[in-house]
Amino acid sequence: MAEPYRKKTTQMTERLEVSPAVAVVEEIGRAIGRKATIAGRATLLFVDACSYVSQANRSLPVLIRQVETSGFGSLLVLALIAGLTGMIMAVQTGTALQQYGIVNQLGAIIGATFCREMGPIWAAVIILARVGASMAAEIGTMVVNEEVDALRSMSINPVRFLVMPRILALVIAMPILTAVADWVGMFGGALISNITFHSSISQFMTSAQQGLTGMDFFSGLFKSAVFACIIGTIACDRGLNTTDGAEGVGKATTDSVVLNIVFVLLADLIMTSFIQLWLK
Amino acid sequence: MAGNGTQSYGVRDKLEAAAPLTPPPPGKEVLIKIRELHKRFGSRHILRGINMDVYKGETLVILGGSGSGKTTLIRHLMGMLRSDEGAVTVGDLNLNKATPAEMETYRKRMGVVFQGAALLNSLTVLENVGLPLVEVDHKPAAEVRTRVIESLRKVYLPAEEILDLKPASLSGGMRKRVGIARAIIQEPEIILYDEPTTGLDPVTVNGVNELTLELQKTLGVTSLVITHDLHAANMIADRIAMLYLGRIIAVGTKEEIAANQHPVLQQLLTGSTHGPLTEAYLQPKKGA
Repeated sequence: MAEPYRKKTTQMTERLEVSPAVAVVEEIGRAIGRKATIAGRATLLFVDACSYVSQANRSLPVLIRQVETSGFGSLLVLALIAGLTGMIMAVQTGTALQQYGIVNQLGAIIGATFCREMGPIWAAVIILARVGASMAAEIGTMVVNEEVDALRSMSINPVRFLVMPRILALVIAMPILTAVADWVGMFGGALISNITFHSSISQFMTSAQQGLTGMDFFSGLFKSAVFACIIGTIACDRGLNTTDGAEGVGKATTDSVVLNIVFVLLADLIMTSFIQLWLK
Repeated sequence: MAGNGTQSYGVRDKLEAAAPLTPPPPGKEVLIKIRELHKRFGSRHILRGINMDVYKGETLVILGGSGSGKTTLIRHLMGMLRSDEGAVTVGDLNLNKATPAEMETYRKRMGVVFQGAALLNSLTVLENVGLPLVEVDHKPAAEVRTRVIESLRKVYLPAEEILDLKPASLSGGMRKRVGIARAIIQEPEIILYDEPTTGLDPVTVNGVNELTLELQKTLGVTSLVITHDLHAANMIADRIAMLYLGRIIAVGTKEEIAANQHPVLQQLLTGSTHGPLTEAYLQPKKGA
């Protein structure tokens, strides 16, 4: 009696083991597990890096170089993207608002959208793609070339020497970039508003001023500082954990971009929810 | 010395048998003591009970084929890996039990020359060589510059001409010398060389070997050189140790090693493609 039952159970287990659905679920589970491990390790790395912030003056040249690379180096491309987005938004939203005769509200809508979301998100996307990827590749190459080992052999902590200045540089540069993105985006919107809907730039800006609060602007800057911490930490973590030579550097770079997009958007969702709750 | 004589080594256990530890000769003081060192990475048993002494002021060359555990061994000496079993003791300091402060002091006593020099590409030669003085010793800029120039001159480099260059502008040989200059700038007691002549042309190889010899004479340092270059080993070594499948299978002077009939050593000496060194890759490692 027990034998056929055991046989049937074994057959069912075998079917489960080979079932594509189970394999997919297993793979998703493993992927989530891996992301959670990376998030946990990155959190520890961030805490470690924070413990060296008081020694930032010792890394001043590196810090300045990093602010210059991440900040000024990304300014032009960010301004271009933010300006174009502001223009597109103005065309799309302005057309809809014109039907209801409230095109004079365009400044408030575009201003709020940029300060709350578009500014910080665009700055994060540009930084994670341009600077985060480069950080992961640079540190990854240093690991492969034994430069990180050389630092350790000289009693130089790689977290203090490499990670902390990079995260700090992003925390300094990102809010500035976000503020620039906010203004350029609004200016792009104002320009289209003026050309297409014959609303003056000052009218657009007055509408934006009336619709916006200080909280909108500063919450965006706060978000961008948090994004900077996430991008810097994940990029450095991926770089420091590079294995397998040149192939590993490529993987670390890709991983850095993908993970940063996921975690930046996740953090944005959480922060936006909390900010909205707080405003209520 | 183990593995010497004309004994036949037909059995694998005999091939991999560790050389027994001999007491230091009169007048020699043991500086680095390695005892029953084991290291595993997952299922791979890389170091399988290393027992070895390094005498103060000597140059000990560790020979071994690829995958024999040379780099793993040197990383234990750098204090970057902790052993699973056994101990590495430098003077009175057990590296497995050392506190971060003790490790910092130890690392000041030690310089490392990496295989690819491991210079930081974003920094100039001045910043690279002076890095430990700036970051660890917090020396003022003027003193750092003076000591960097001194250190570069010790390795026969035109200091003033290359100070502001980035490593990418230097030749392979020059980069290696800059790496050595960085290793000796804190006047270490011990220098660890990880395959210092790999990838260099024969003239530069000889230059690096001569430099290693000269540094030992002038600075009186204890050097531990990891290499698979037999010519380099014969040129610079006071003693040679042979690492095979995670064990030291023979230790001795150059003459003793040359007279040793151990098949692994014989294969390395003759450069034959047939023998235990190459066969080891075809069989699963014992204990792995």
